[in-house]
Amino acid sequence: MGNPMRIRAKLDGEVVDAKVLMNHAMETGQRKDASGALVPAHYITKVIASCNGKTVLEADWGPSVSKNPLLGFRFRGAAAGDTLSVTWTDSMNDTRTDEAVIG
Amino acid sequence: MSSWDRATAIKLGLSALALATIAASPLAGASNLGRPATPAEIAAWDIDVRPDFAGLPAGSGSVEQGMEVWESKCESCHGTFGESNEVFTPLAGGTTRADQDSGRVKSLVGPNVPQRTTLMKLSTVSTLFDYIRRAMPWNAPKSLSDDEVYAVTAYVLYLNDVVSDDFVLDQDSIREVQNRLPNRNGMTRDHGLWEVAGKADTHNTACMKNCAADVEISSSLPEYARDSHGNLADQNRSFGPVRGTTTAASAAPAATTAPTQPAGTSRLAMAEEYGCTGCHAMDDTIVGPGFRQVAQRYADKAGSLDQVAAKIRAGGSGAWGSMPMPAQEQLNEEQARELAEWILSGAN
Repeated sequence: MGNPMRIRAKLDGEVVDAKVLMNHAMETGQRKDASGALVPAHYITKVIASCNGKTVLEADWGPSVSKNPLLGFRFRGAAAGDTLSVTWTDSMNDTRTDEAVIG
Repeated sequence: MSSWDRATAIKLGLSALALATIAASPLAGASNLGRPATPAEIAAWDIDVRPDFAGLPAGSGSVEQGMEVWESKCESCHGTFGESNEVFTPLAGGTTRADQDSGRVKSLVGPNVPQRTTLMKLSTVSTLFDYIRRAMPWNAPKSLSDDEVYAVTAYVLYLNDVVSDDFVLDQDSIREVQNRLPNRNGMTRDHGLWEVAGKADTHNTACMKNCAADVEISSSLPEYARDSHGNLADQNRSFGPVRGTTTAASAAPAATTAPTQPAGTSRLAMAEEYGCTGCHAMDDTIVGPGFRQVAQRYADKAGSLDQVAAKIRAGGSGAWGSMPMPAQEQLNEEQARELAEWILSGAN
């Protein structure tokens, strides 16, 4: 289920400039809590962005990505009013999809 | 305080000062120094908005309008979502829905969010409004209209999930927002510093023995240490009245007052006037590259004058890192060219 992402996609000429702020703990599995116990690994492993049924970005992530990651990318072939959809899946098989209208 | 009270207070302050001057020296006529502040001067200075919303101007702005202002004037330093940690610490994040109910930000205690964001600490929404209104954007403070300040404040609150995306902030709804602020109950006056007789935060004990008869307060840099960290004057933003002292080995202290070439001085003044020096120093990178770094990279390249002049007006990012420079449309092409010439000639 996870926490909602913030997505902003702006059309600049032919190119869509997309920014996504994900709300995720991104625990590496190497950190210890106050009592000295390992905090279990919990990080995003896959990110897929799609627009008009086409995948525009696919990324395999690991534990070296920061907490609450900000992802920025650009792609062509979309028009204003189209919907950009971003999905992440994490190491605990949790997944979340959020959408934003390209403006 | 009403403006009448303020006018009286200022006059009283002035006459107290005048009395002190008379007491200190036999100078006659000192009581004629200065004049009462005019109502217009007081109005220009009296812009504070207080926690009880005294001083709040009428107006309104929606989250959507705020986003437009944000993306043209705020995003380049604070990030699209107020998350950027490059120039300032992040504005938004670190709070939860439960914090909004309790009015205390839980993550201020414990290691989960090691970096405090602005909205984690903010206890009065009036402070956010007041700060944006008097100090932002950095390169053109007080340039936003009251409605724009309402809109940007609403957008910052939206980024932190305090208000929804269709929220309209105005002089009435800002009071409701105060009741939803995550850290509204996070401030306490229940400690020694708020009471004159309160417990101090140090173990300081008064020592009233062997006091020096004459104290000379001074600050100086020993000659041998002047060059320890390079030329301090070049490492400071030349923005506003504070300047670093010249500590270059070659520059004897007397050289600090030596006049530079008149042409260079006027260009530097121009760079200050148009806000360039808010982000650019002479030699080193602050937010953007130093003027001389630009000269070093581009001075010998063909067509660089046109390029730099165009870049000054249009802004951009990438050549010197990801931090974008906003467009500087307040400069016309001729002025941009003049500045570019000055920069490429080594900013002397």
